[in-house]
Amino acid sequence: MNTALNISSSPHTRDKWSTAFIMRVVTLSLLPASLVGVIVYGWNALLVLALSVASAVASEFLFDKLTHKGDTWKDGSAVVTGLMLGLCLSPSAPWYIPVLGSMFAILVVKCCFGGLGKNFVNPALAGRCFLLISFGKVMSAYQIVDGVSMATPIAALKGGSAVNITQMFLGTANGVIGSSILALLVGGLALWALDIIHGQICFSVLISFTAAMGLFGGQGFDVKFLLAHLCGGGVVMGAFFMATDYVTSPVSRLGQTVYGVLIGLLGAVFRIKGGAPDSFSYSVIIANLFVPMIDTYILSKPFAYRRLARGKWDGSGPLLKRVPRPVIVLTSIALIAGVALSGVYALTKGTIEEQHRAAQAASYKVVLPSAESFEVDAALDQAVADLNGQVYGSDFGRSYINEVFIGRDAAGEIAGYAISATSADGFDGNITLAVGVSPDGTLNGISFTELNETPGMGMRADEPEFKEQFNGRTATRFKLIKAGSAIAEDEIDSVSGASITSSAVVNAVNAALDFFHTTVKGGN
Amino acid sequence: MPLRDFLPQGEMVFPLSQHIGKPAKPIVKKNDPVLVGQRIAEADGFVSAHVICSCSGTVKAIEKRRVLTGAMMDCIVVDNDGAFTPAEGFGQREDASKLTNDDILARVQEAAIVGLGGAGFPTHVKLRPKDPAAIRYIIANGAECEPYLTCNDQLMRTRAAEIVEGLELMLRLFPNAEGVIGIERNKPEAISAMEAAVSGKNRMRVLPLKTKYPQGGERSLIQVVAGANFPITKLPADVGCIVENVGTIYAIQRAVLYHEPLFSHCLTLTGEAVKNPGNYIIRDGTSFSELLEASGGLKEGVTLKKALCGGPMMGIPLGSLDVPIQKQNNGLTLLPEDPCEIAEAQMTACLHCGRCTTVCPMGLLPQLMAEAADDGDLDRYEKKLYGLECIQCGSCTYICPAKRPLMQTFKQAKAEIMARKRAAGGK
Ligand code: SF4
Ligand code: SF4
Repeated sequence: MNTALNISSSPHTRDKWSTAFIMRVVTLSLLPASLVGVIVYGWNALLVLALSVASAVASEFLFDKLTHKGDTWKDGSAVVTGLMLGLCLSPSAPWYIPVLGSMFAILVVKCCFGGLGKNFVNPALAGRCFLLISFGKVMSAYQIVDGVSMATPIAALKGGSAVNITQMFLGTANGVIGSSILALLVGGLALWALDIIHGQICFSVLISFTAAMGLFGGQGFDVKFLLAHLCGGGVVMGAFFMATDYVTSPVSRLGQTVYGVLIGLLGAVFRIKGGAPDSFSYSVIIANLFVPMIDTYILSKPFAYRRLARGKWDGSGPLLKRVPRPVIVLTSIALIAGVALSGVYALTKGTIEEQHRAAQAASYKVVLPSAESFEVDAALDQAVADLNGQVYGSDFGRSYINEVFIGRDAAGEIAGYAISATSADGFDGNITLAVGVSPDGTLNGISFTELNETPGMGMRADEPEFKEQFNGRTATRFKLIKAGSAIAEDEIDSVSGASITSSAVVNAVNAALDFFHTTVKGGN
Repeated sequence: MPLRDFLPQGEMVFPLSQHIGKPAKPIVKKNDPVLVGQRIAEADGFVSAHVICSCSGTVKAIEKRRVLTGAMMDCIVVDNDGAFTPAEGFGQREDASKLTNDDILARVQEAAIVGLGGAGFPTHVKLRPKDPAAIRYIIANGAECEPYLTCNDQLMRTRAAEIVEGLELMLRLFPNAEGVIGIERNKPEAISAMEAAVSGKNRMRVLPLKTKYPQGGERSLIQVVAGANFPITKLPADVGCIVENVGTIYAIQRAVLYHEPLFSHCLTLTGEAVKNPGNYIIRDGTSFSELLEASGGLKEGVTLKKALCGGPMMGIPLGSLDVPIQKQNNGLTLLPEDPCEIAEAQMTACLHCGRCTTVCPMGLLPQLMAEAADDGDLDRYEKKLYGLECIQCGSCTYICPAKRPLMQTFKQAKAEIMARKRAAGGK
């Protein structure tokens, strides 16, 4: 009767879920965040998302056609990569940013390593880091209000300002398109409930990050502080969508947990030490690189071998043995990681302070080149101590006077005074500088000892063009001129696009000058 | 799907090898008259089983015929007279209390009982472990070995008392064992029927099981009942367990109490292409195509794409339906389309999604095993990933969204490793 029966190996039935189906679900799970992004930031956000998705798919299509690799572009994974990348971009990004980012992610990170399943870091994240490195300035311009870049909440948090957690949660604060925590949580938890992402990854990321921030963040387990850090800087996006990327996460459950903890800890270290709002993408990428190692060393054993060590074949050993093993392993990993982290912290803390000192001493020499030696003066030290570490004066923002040295030249004459001052109003935290003043009150020069501003923007305060404006000036107080050319003796030209940084610098210099005129000169 | 007796009319074909072990030796010649229940071939050696005729008629030929694996094998072909005249000496119920343990074992062996769960291992061998006193559980497997099949369910609903009697006979051989009847929870009628049958009996209980594939696997059952996991190098008896399909236990009851050899068993006819799916008590040697035609054939307008002896998960694909049904065949699944073909079209690279790891009943890492096997790293496959532990249940292939042929890869890798071991051992 029937002659053309198919012969093939069992099983002869398959689950309904296919690769394309899973990709579609993941895409859907990113839609709430996309939608909120477009509503909050407007049409340009939609354009950015559309461009990054379109160029991701187009890149894979092109690669397929050029290499005759089949139709891998149809499997939907490029859409996911493009959308994830788009959500990590600023809504005001110019058109070439999403296009280049997606092309890099798909062509270089994914296709060149063999396509789906072969890349060793998450393509979307790698694309983002590529953009950060290549277009740092454009990438870190988040929302432009009146021509002034606004700080993202995490940058503001670093700078000590209060942030609005509710805004961050809803996604109406400054940031990338996909910054609505609520929408991301909806999508992420749905994926978890559908068993598409592994809970052991996303939750171990969140838990270890929170724990590390609480322990080492310097503010203890302050709920507001922790929430602000959890809601900002891509932690939720990273935990639910980036870290859980199938290809770049470990295979066994234990491996996945270790990997999640690693991401959380790295993220916290970067947050505390680095302060770049993008630190979370870096921690995921670094953890990605450890995955092959984790997969080599942390492999789960088949059931038949799991209790072989002490139990018997017939499983007649005590039931208790079953439970604690993973618990013990996990606890020890957490402990070891915690100890290691505090060790690194303690070690680097010392060196950071030393480096700080050395930088300070060198900078005094820079601002008072004719001085051979620097000495402390008991009266001046007392005057600094009397300030009690309080904000100096009322006209200089949040500026502080740190210390004063008297510089003497080879002949032992007073060559001038070196004053260290800090402004806490920098874009990314504190700005500390040394100011050299001649005995007659002429400003010799300034030099930065602490400057963590945005590369290409605030960091440009350290360029001669800006800082040498102060050299040889006799004014006792400077004014900042925005977007003009300073002519008057007391006018300083702002670094373009970095007025926050510029004004913090001017404030710190003014505080130092004021201290010189009222205390050093006035006191003598 | 109630249980119906099916009496074939066409010629009957009895392969000489229907079980694991050596083929049997024919003891009849061409033109010899034969009767139902008559032994027509003798077991050759301990791990072997007799061949029993399931109809009456005359021996037409002893020749090579195509069997379900697609190979040509020596078979005894009987011209069926349709009368089903039984041979002498069975069908009369005897008093079990007079039988010794050796009698029981001898009757099981005489009756040519093999495991009806699929593998076809001679049961009398299984019932003679090294140390009968060390056996703690006799597990009656009432879980269906495959998702589509329902014959165990039907058998338990209609033959509960007989199965319990069979289990009692087995328990006599093992003084320290408890009889556990494992049934999946989605068979409430079977559970209540069996519970009613065991009530008041000693050393026996019904254990409802989670409904999941491969619950009917020997290892899964032992894991649930005895809490024991054991590597592939060990046998169930090593952990104090003997697992028998309820169909086999029913056959034991018939063999011991009625002296009736095994020549018929329960089979599920199912699949989307079948017009009248159903459960049948089928006689060995009937051809699959005769059963299908008698049942009403295929659905109208449907072409048969794939025929499986067994269920969709582990069934053996049939090249033709004109092959005889053997003792251990518990299902015929007929599909109008081939899921393997569809899957092949959807295949993508492995996503590393980990679904295969989640479903593997042995706790293996199929994703990494496939990677190692594809890379030709059989050492890693065997030593690091314990790839030989794979029971080829197919769960990983089934679940894989990328439609990777995982189990097929493992089958080859295992065969390759075994071949290398043999080659190394032979030197
Ligand atoms: S289920 Fe398939 S796609 Fe997923 S990890 Fe296993 S082999 Fe890869
Ligand atoms: S076939 Fe797959 S799921 Fe089944 S035991 Fe082997 S590896 Fe595990």
